[in-house]
Amino acid sequence: MFDDLNSVMFRVLKLGSLLVLAVVSIGSAIGFLIAGTSGVLAALSGGLAALAFTALTVFSLLLGAKLGLGGFLAVVLGGWLIKMVLFLVFFWVLNNADWLSSEARPVVFFTVVAAVIGGLVLDTWIVTKARITPSV
Amino acid sequence: MQIIQIAAETVTQVSQVTGNLGVLGYGLAAIGPGIGVGLVVSKTIESIARQPELAARLQVTMWLGIAFTEALALIGLATPFIFAA
Repeated sequence: MFDDLNSVMFRVLKLGSLLVLAVVSIGSAIGFLIAGTSGVLAALSGGLAALAFTALTVFSLLLGAKLGLGGFLAVVLGGWLIKMVLFLVFFWVLNNADWLSSEARPVVFFTVVAAVIGGLVLDTWIVTKARITPSV
Repeated sequence: MQIIQIAAETVTQVSQVTGNLGVLGYGLAAIGPGIGVGLVVSKTIESIARQPELAARLQVTMWLGIAFTEALALIGLATPFIFAA
């Protein structure tokens, strides 16, 4: 009847993955029309980045919720910091990749933006629908 | 005359920006989410301290706040793909 943190987060992961799959499918089709195979790879990389970005926060929250308040904040904020560094490296590698043609570059950006904004809408919808019990 | 020349050279040197401007871009992209996440977390700690029984609900709300704030950071990190020369 009531939701807890785990059930809400697993719903976010499940529906979020489906959303990213949909965005990547549309992005790949558009990318293929614009830049061929490079466009498809660009949409896939953008989708992977957006999915990993959301999923890592969810995992850090699930792990952190098992600890006390201090541990929760350490895991969530520490995870956030590490994630930022990981993504900086990921985008740096992608930025210098030979297989990414100049026509395909905007496909990465727009796939990331579409997946992230769509993900936010989904997250808000799930949280507003969730009935979370007080812990006492 | 020589002093004016030195002054002119100094102004030219100071006003020149060399190196990769993307570094400045990342710095600017990091400021907003940094402040935002800090505010979200500090208010959550305050709220949990006031009403510990609402911790589960506040943690989910905090996650939503972080998700919105970090979206800006991710878009900021991805901008080189459209703005690069």
